[in-house]
Amino acid sequence: MNAGSSLIATLVTLTLIKSTPIIYAALGGVISERSGVINIGLEGMMIGGAFTAVVFSGVTGNPVIGLLAGIGAGAVLGLVLGLAATIFKVDQIVAGTGINLVAAGAAAYALTLIYNQPGASPQVNALGNGFWVLVALAFVCAMLLHVVLYETPWGLRVRACGENPRAVHDAALNPLRLRVAAVAISGALAGLGGAFLSIGEVNIFSDGMTAGRGFIALAAVIFGRWTPWGATGASMFFGFFEALQYVLQGRVGWLPADAMQAVPYIAALIAIAGLVGKVRAPAADGVPY
Amino acid sequence: MRNATRLLGGPLGAIVLAFFLAAIAMLIAGVSPVDGFWALFVGALGGRQQIAETLVQTTALLFPALGITLAFRAGLFNIGAEGQLVIGGLAAGALGAHFVAPGPLAVVVLLAAGFIGGGIWGGIAGWLRARFNANEIISTLMLNFVALSLASYLVSGPLKSAQAAGAETAPLPPQSWLPVLIPDTRLSIALLIAIATAIVLRWVLSRTVFGYDLRAAGEAPEAARRGGVNMPRMTWLALSLSGAIAGLGGAALVTGVLHRFNTQLSPGYGYTAIAVALVGDLNPLWVCVAAFGFGILEAGGLAMQALADVPKDAIHVIEGLIIIVLAARRYIATRAEGAPI
Amino acid sequence: MDGVELDLRAHEIHALVGENGAGKSTLANIAFGSVKADAGTTQAVGTVGLVHQHFELVGRLRVWQNVLLGREPRKGWLIDASAARARVLDLAQRNGLPIDPDALVDELPIGVQQRVELLRELERDPAVLLLDEPTAALAPAEIDSFFTTIVQLAERGSAVMIVTHKLQEVISYSKRVSVMRHGKIVAQFETARTSIDEIARAMVGGEVPHVAQRQKTGLQPCVRVEHLSAGTGSVAIQDINLEVRAGEIVGIAGVEGNGQTTLADAIAGLIPYAGAIAVDGRIGIVPQDRNREGLVLNWSIVDNAMLGRQHLRESRRGPLLDRAVARADAQAIAQRFDLRAASLEVAARTLSGGNQQKIVVGRALLGDPQFVLAYQPTRGIDVGATALVQSRLIEARNAGAAILLISFELDEILALADRVLVMYRGSIVAEFSGQGIERGRVGELMAGARAS
Repeated sequence: MNAGSSLIATLVTLTLIKSTPIIYAALGGVISERSGVINIGLEGMMIGGAFTAVVFSGVTGNPVIGLLAGIGAGAVLGLVLGLAATIFKVDQIVAGTGINLVAAGAAAYALTLIYNQPGASPQVNALGNGFWVLVALAFVCAMLLHVVLYETPWGLRVRACGENPRAVHDAALNPLRLRVAAVAISGALAGLGGAFLSIGEVNIFSDGMTAGRGFIALAAVIFGRWTPWGATGASMFFGFFEALQYVLQGRVGWLPADAMQAVPYIAALIAIAGLVGKVRAPAADGVPY
Repeated sequence: MRNATRLLGGPLGAIVLAFFLAAIAMLIAGVSPVDGFWALFVGALGGRQQIAETLVQTTALLFPALGITLAFRAGLFNIGAEGQLVIGGLAAGALGAHFVAPGPLAVVVLLAAGFIGGGIWGGIAGWLRARFNANEIISTLMLNFVALSLASYLVSGPLKSAQAAGAETAPLPPQSWLPVLIPDTRLSIALLIAIATAIVLRWVLSRTVFGYDLRAAGEAPEAARRGGVNMPRMTWLALSLSGAIAGLGGAALVTGVLHRFNTQLSPGYGYTAIAVALVGDLNPLWVCVAAFGFGILEAGGLAMQALADVPKDAIHVIEGLIIIVLAARRYIATRAEGAPI
Repeated sequence: MDGVELDLRAHEIHALVGENGAGKSTLANIAFGSVKADAGTTQAVGTVGLVHQHFELVGRLRVWQNVLLGREPRKGWLIDASAARARVLDLAQRNGLPIDPDALVDELPIGVQQRVELLRELERDPAVLLLDEPTAALAPAEIDSFFTTIVQLAERGSAVMIVTHKLQEVISYSKRVSVMRHGKIVAQFETARTSIDEIARAMVGGEVPHVAQRQKTGLQPCVRVEHLSAGTGSVAIQDINLEVRAGEIVGIAGVEGNGQTTLADAIAGLIPYAGAIAVDGRIGIVPQDRNREGLVLNWSIVDNAMLGRQHLRESRRGPLLDRAVARADAQAIAQRFDLRAASLEVAARTLSGGNQQKIVVGRALLGDPQFVLAYQPTRGIDVGATALVQSRLIEARNAGAAILLISFELDEILALADRVLVMYRGSIVAEFSGQGIERGRVGELMAGARAS
């Protein structure tokens, strides 16, 4: 009995921990897409957040400063994407892919530059048990985003941007500015998710530590029907599979560890396939205004 | 049909900008750009060995870039070339360890295995998009990770070579190796196969009915649909072929360079190939030129690191920036209505 | 646009007319401020409101959210939804435009959607109200109620400008008329002192080109549609039965949004359907939206001429395209339709709307198909191209083709069709044939009046 309940406890705890970075990134995805900008660069923003958090925590010795720096880095990358999508009217998907590559390359580059060791940074001060605050904060953010999107004027205008930016323009508002703001916020959220990975869950940055979570978050956005709570639930769904993989690995000998690692990704595949027909993205999603 | 001014404004301009940024990166690293670029070019083109290595990198990039080009022209975004390449290489490596046959036949069979393997991998995403309208950006990327897990599992377990110390398949018998193009180098005739593929692709796109349908699907999906193009079938075919070409590249790496399969097969060729395809303006012949340019960067980057102390990841930053700059052109027709994302 | 001078006065309805492509919408957009003029100034005493030809509403939001976007009443940080609803109801009542503030715009019929757009502009209390083709999507009864509101608005002091091509409305409701042609104002009239003919002549700058004559033909059935049902929601069609015979034009009259697209898509085989569709021979289709559904704008005229025909045995040599055939086809279209282009290799994007439409229609008529489905074949093109397209359709009819014409312009249907079917809410509600089809009666049925 005891072993059973501790197994469940581990599973629940791990699910929460594994879901948190995805929730942040997915919330970012929701607000970006609701404003009409597809944010393929969530992965890169997470990397940026993770790396910057480690650097600043290392330099100042204070993980909270690292956290704020990580959020800032994500916001900056979000700003870049937002401006690219609105002022320069670039193809959002291609730009997002570029951001991912730049962030990954820059992080690896800076690793060697700053620390002289490729692959991983030295250990820094992490949040310790304070990371549970971030876990709880993820759900608070989900609720905040829900309220903002559906109950505030700004949220209404952002949603209108994603459906018909011309209508927003006709209402004497600036859809471009709204979009840039939304995407910058999405970057900040993704950066926060990344920082959780590097100084929350562990205390280093290693090459490739985001492992595609930015894209799983996108699957969560679709799976969650572009709503904050939906995306949160979907993120937990994927987080559960990641946690399951860890839990089963030690216990079920015959399941190969490598194969198990594929489980969250396969879950994401099934999730986006399982929505036939009825799914409708914001009408102006991906279309430059 | 695309004229020179368009190229100058787009890809050429991006390359110039990239070099400018590279110079800045070098300055940051405390290296004079002159030294840095010199190390780069010497490292890439300074001698027979260096040129051969550059061409090896060119070939490795060209296959997935051609696959991505095909998908792009059909209006599909394939970022799964990395996984398709790995699966293709895995198929070739797994089969090659045990397949015994006279020289040319063995090589052809292994390359075909890579083509089919990559084709199946791309086909999964194609099927998901055709049948369920599942966004192929997400599915191809998820499949990348699945491919890596699968490969990792297989080469540490069932396919592990008895002879080798590390996780890899058994080495290929010499008759299954691709003939070498420049003696005493790693460069095989895979380069010629890649260029031939580019020529065939160009011909298919511009002269065949299938190519016509594919381009229509990419540029005007609603008009294509009404113009008799079977869109779900085209989606599936395009992603399958795209994956197949990338898989062929993986098999070429296995039979031509490594002579075995392990998970270090590709240092991200499938991702860099996206930049290559864009710089090549999605035109198979220009993609060859772009692949050569990036081949110089990849080969020279290592030398740059050794000689001038500039970390080779700077190259990847530059490649990413090129993509962002080139995103200014709309490469993908407005997505068909109802497509999520 | 060139040297345009226009003044709109309070208490007055001013009509701006001109054929398609004359620059009317551009002028309206400049006056509103959404488009920047290259030279010149726009001055307005007060705010300007613009109701677009194609509504710019947010379908997935509610009426009150659309009307009050940007001016939302607040309760602290949040939107005060009940105050918003009350404000919209009040505004609607004051202007005689009944509406349910909580309805989702997507679910409203087009006539009511227009009310939402109108309310949105009225909310800002505009001194000047611009209306771009406001009655294009309205049934005759809705048009009457619309103009009642507009006339009231003008009486209360607003300056109203209506951009329209419906000269009857101009005569009935406007005080002054300005005529645009090729980006210039070529004439201005006091409405009371002019006539439809005079205005029409000013629009075209000469005589209106005439359309080929219909000749008597034998009547073998070619297309039979039985118990056809398809689609979902407000555009679904139910139990459609119709027949088109060789050598006749059957016109489907109806307001946009009553299932015409569903019907066309079902016949074209693009959507699943229940029931039977039998066509005796080949089909040529003119799609509704030439830019999205008919052409690949980046391609040349030659490549576009091939679209839809590339799988035919004649067009290919094995897996290869026979470019010579494509070029011959393009040349045939160019000749038959008087295509004005520098060469056949230019991109379709560079052509005018009329020339683009000629490619689409010409392609549909290539090879003399037995059945032609023409959906809005003269949408948004100039008078000359319109006359040409209509003539070719009639000539096809005279040569024995069965033509199903779907159009939102009742005048076009009445001019071309041998038989007229009225479509309303997904069903055929009436059929008219022969001479003397009563325009008024058709209009009533289009709006949903009970068939007797």
